[in-house]
Amino acid sequence: MTAIPSAERALKRGGILTAVGLLLVAGVYVRALAFTPEEATQGLAQKIFYIHAPSAWVALYLAYGIVGIFSVLYLFLKDPRLDLLAASSAEVGTVFTTVVLVTGPIWGKTIWGAWWTWDARLTSTLFLYFIYLSYLVLRSAVDEPGRRARYSAVLGILGALLVPFIHMTVYLFRTLHPMPVVLQPGRPRVPGPMLVTILYAFFAFTVFYFGLLWRRYAWARLRAARAEREADGADASR
Amino acid sequence: MPPANGGFMVAAYVAAAVIYLAYTGWLYWRSRGR
Amino acid sequence: MRSVLAEAWTIAAKDLLLEFRSRTAFLSALVFTALVLAIFNFARDPTAVSATDLAPSVLWITFSFAGVLGLNRAFSLEKENRAIDGLLLSPASRTSLYLGKTLANLVFVGAVEAIALPLFALFFNVPLLDVLGALVLVIALATVGFVAVGTLMSSMAVNTRFGEMMLLVLVLPFLLTPVSTAAEITAKLFAHRPFAEWAPWLKLLAAYDITFVVLCTLVFEFTLEE
Repeated sequence: MTAIPSAERALKRGGILTAVGLLLVAGVYVRALAFTPEEATQGLAQKIFYIHAPSAWVALYLAYGIVGIFSVLYLFLKDPRLDLLAASSAEVGTVFTTVVLVTGPIWGKTIWGAWWTWDARLTSTLFLYFIYLSYLVLRSAVDEPGRRARYSAVLGILGALLVPFIHMTVYLFRTLHPMPVVLQPGRPRVPGPMLVTILYAFFAFTVFYFGLLWRRYAWARLRAARAEREADGADASR
Repeated sequence: MPPANGGFMVAAYVAAAVIYLAYTGWLYWRSRGR
Repeated sequence: MRSVLAEAWTIAAKDLLLEFRSRTAFLSALVFTALVLAIFNFARDPTAVSATDLAPSVLWITFSFAGVLGLNRAFSLEKENRAIDGLLLSPASRTSLYLGKTLANLVFVGAVEAIALPLFALFFNVPLLDVLGALVLVIALATVGFVAVGTLMSSMAVNTRFGEMMLLVLVLPFLLTPVSTAAEITAKLFAHRPFAEWAPWLKLLAAYDITFVVLCTLVFEFTLEE
């Protein structure tokens, strides 16, 4: 029965990676607040960008991408660990999305004068948030693990295909979001120190996400393995 | 003269930190093993 | 291919026959729709907001409610009769099952919409006739998009603890594209804008329908027990 020790080892390693990630993110805070110049026209609030944008990258693309991919893999391969990974990514992704939806309006208030305008990107994020939440609610509403995995996978795939439609729908309506300045062909319009900060921030938050994902996944495997051991034990003692 | 919105920056940074730390803490607490 | 459609039609006909015999769900959906329209009419200030400005949104909120009611009705029918078990034992394929159920829901929701539309024209005094063809097309497309996903979600929600709440929670994010694009096209139609102005939205709506009808048909079997 190697599942439990293996999961316990993963739990430790996930914990270490998370701690590393957390340190890196603390580094982002220090660097963004103390060692990055203030933007000329937007003021200090522009620095919210260094937290908001990397969180959005993780939430919308990385975390949900993993939910989508592993949902498809689960439906084909039926390995329950694939479902556990997708579910872990959904939970962690929801946390990152929450940060996006909290920091976004705060920043928006300083730029647009309003907490919420139906800006393309934030609205897309809001709808992805609904998908994440409905995924988590669905899981909590189904007790049987096999059915829960199947249903989650179906929702995961549908949600993944919905994301581009949300983007396109919202984009067709008015866009107020500041245009992306980092990833442009040729010269990025972000001055040197700011570019370093934002690239470092993307790296830091990505590591942090993987740490949390690993730990969460390991814990899910541990619980499943323990439940199975109990069930086996109950069978054996009959 | 850029606008004085440092307060918003602080609010956002603190809010993000609280959310991330709270989740991390909760995750560790749940998974700390028996 | 022919047998799949024939089976689907048989399944749909059975569902619709059941509905026709009781008629209560249909009638309550109608009453509810009329109520929503009336309330919206009274809730606005006629001197501040013109009917034509508000009309598209009101129409689509009404249709969304009608759609959700339709899905809920199919859902409770499912729960009560455990009809699905009988269907699974039959030689009908999973695809026919999904298509049949979707078809039945479409007919139900479509019937409610068909009655709500003239009511809407009446209460809001919007000249529909000159754009009727395009309007019906848009309504049909949006309804297909909404019902296709809703029927799939319904077959999952019926096996969860939260029932109709779960159905609503699952379906909500999928409403954005069909409802908002349809509302936008409707607004442009009422304002007699040229086709070129609303063509992008129509394309998006059509793309959504094709994507999700195909996808839902493909994944439907995973929502059924082995």
